[in-house]
Amino acid sequence: MNLTPTVADDSAAGEVTPSSVSSVRSRRSRRFRLRGSGGPGLRAGALPYLLVMPLVAAVGVFAVYPTALTTVGAFYEVDPLYPRHFVGLQNFRGVFTDPTTRISLINTLVYAAVGVAGATILGLAVAITLRRRFRSRGLILACVVLPWAVPSVVGAVIWGWIFDPNFGVLNGALTSAHILNHYYVWLGLHRFLTVVLIEVVQIWQIAPISALIILAALQSIPAQLYEAALVDGAGPWRTFRRVTIPLIRPALALSCVQALVLSLNIFDQVYVLNYDATSGSSLMLKTYVDTFSDLNFGQGYALSLTATLLTVVFTVTLLGLIYRRVSY
Amino acid sequence: MKLLRSAGQRIGNKPAIALVILWSLFPLYWAAKTSLTTLASAEGRPPKYIPAPFTISNYKALFGIQSSGADIAYQFGRSLVNSTVESGGAMILTILIAVTSAYAFARLHMRFKGVIFASVIGTLLLPAYATLIPVYRMMSGWGLVNTYFGVILAYTAGFVPLAMWILYTYFQSIPAEIEEAAAVDGASALRTLIRIVIPLSAPGIASAAIITFMLGWTQFLFPLVLTSDLSSQPVTVIVAALNGQRVVPFTLLMGAAALAAAPPGIFALIMNRRIVQGLTAGGVK
Repeated sequence: MNLTPTVADDSAAGEVTPSSVSSVRSRRSRRFRLRGSGGPGLRAGALPYLLVMPLVAAVGVFAVYPTALTTVGAFYEVDPLYPRHFVGLQNFRGVFTDPTTRISLINTLVYAAVGVAGATILGLAVAITLRRRFRSRGLILACVVLPWAVPSVVGAVIWGWIFDPNFGVLNGALTSAHILNHYYVWLGLHRFLTVVLIEVVQIWQIAPISALIILAALQSIPAQLYEAALVDGAGPWRTFRRVTIPLIRPALALSCVQALVLSLNIFDQVYVLNYDATSGSSLMLKTYVDTFSDLNFGQGYALSLTATLLTVVFTVTLLGLIYRRVSY
Repeated sequence: MKLLRSAGQRIGNKPAIALVILWSLFPLYWAAKTSLTTLASAEGRPPKYIPAPFTISNYKALFGIQSSGADIAYQFGRSLVNSTVESGGAMILTILIAVTSAYAFARLHMRFKGVIFASVIGTLLLPAYATLIPVYRMMSGWGLVNTYFGVILAYTAGFVPLAMWILYTYFQSIPAEIEEAAAVDGASALRTLIRIVIPLSAPGIASAAIITFMLGWTQFLFPLVLTSDLSSQPVTVIVAALNGQRVVPFTLLMGAAALAAAPPGIFALIMNRRIVQGLTAGGVK
């Protein structure tokens, strides 16, 4: 910051308020009022509201209003060609009785469970591996972040080629190593395997965020705490359990929540790797198909609302379970 | 036992680091390797781990230099243009809205400021489920389906809370004295913003802009719904479509994948420090 002292002194010496001269440091954090006038036509206090208006309009029109429409629409039968009419909970009955929807719902729960556990455990492992400073660590961190930057559709297409039943390198490597004796169809045959492998693709992309969050937390633990643990005769595992884990709980909570929201919303990977089969279908894919292929908008709204509520309830529960305020 | 332990200390965490790198980079290497060889080599058993024979004919086909892929080259080229316009447009609009509003939130007095700020940030928690269908129906009602403007609007609304948050934190880290000096000298708030705050925050604005561009480039679900022809389909939608056709050779497909991943990948490598800082800011406490 090229803040030359003279500038700051000028402002302090200028006749702003008497108190500003006395303590420059306290003013640093204080928000102050600037004159909001722009020209003769503009009232002094209007400028902040004008500056914020485009933001409020964008968020209001494209986030808040649509959410309200989804909530209301879930209770109507909506057909693009006819006026909508109120049907109460009928759309939700569809959500909970339709067998393919139930498969998608259960799959989504598996996606979320595998995603949260996988991303956080992998993130923790990567963070511990990279905790100490060494020469090429910056470069390795850049490599770790790279999968996150790849568009998820592109990542899924690449992994689809790796999993390919005829020419995929997964089959090739496993048969070369004599772990498999023939090429195997990984996706679409066995439902649970399909879901787990598709989630592995998502974990490849979201674990970097978990790793970075946890790494930042690990590095902020004071070294004295580890020395104290050593003096008290605690072994590595005990130190990890009793010192490290409690102190990185906020980071673990954040990592779990980001993985939870992303995996409950999984769409791109499922669309690419398992589009036409129901075996791996997720709630988001089911919503897309119901709405935009079958044009059953009411059903789509009900699914959306169910999934949104699921996301909120799970997020709050997970935060309650894992998050603890720490101080050291 | 003692011998084992000293050996363990010498090796340290090198095997773990090697595993981390392999896991992160192997899929990307595999895509690049496949795109740089012939189909016969890519589909050979057992798999070849290096691109032999080496060829760039897949990239020539994707760019239309070779006649064999003229159709795909046209689709792919156009989708790259679409992605650039849509991500770039969303980036510019998002930053314009985010800079002005973040400044107002960070520095100006306003009634209900806390409530407005919290509501805007709160929309970050809304999953795509909540807004997808109504946004599609609104866009289709306004005739904005299959237009750049429709996609840009949808992206901007989605990205602007995050960009505003990044800039808000950045503005707060700038000492207020300079702006006060400007106020004393008679500059209006708007003038202070344009002449002092924006130049001082150039690094913060740049990182918010690049993160916004990356977010736009990687979108799939919203453009899949909001676009249905080449006039506006971005590269993510086209790569998924090429993959779905099941007739495009894997070598060509991996070339397309590599090119589609390149812009955000390169940004991530250049901006690595800033991204790491930005993503971890909230996670420490």
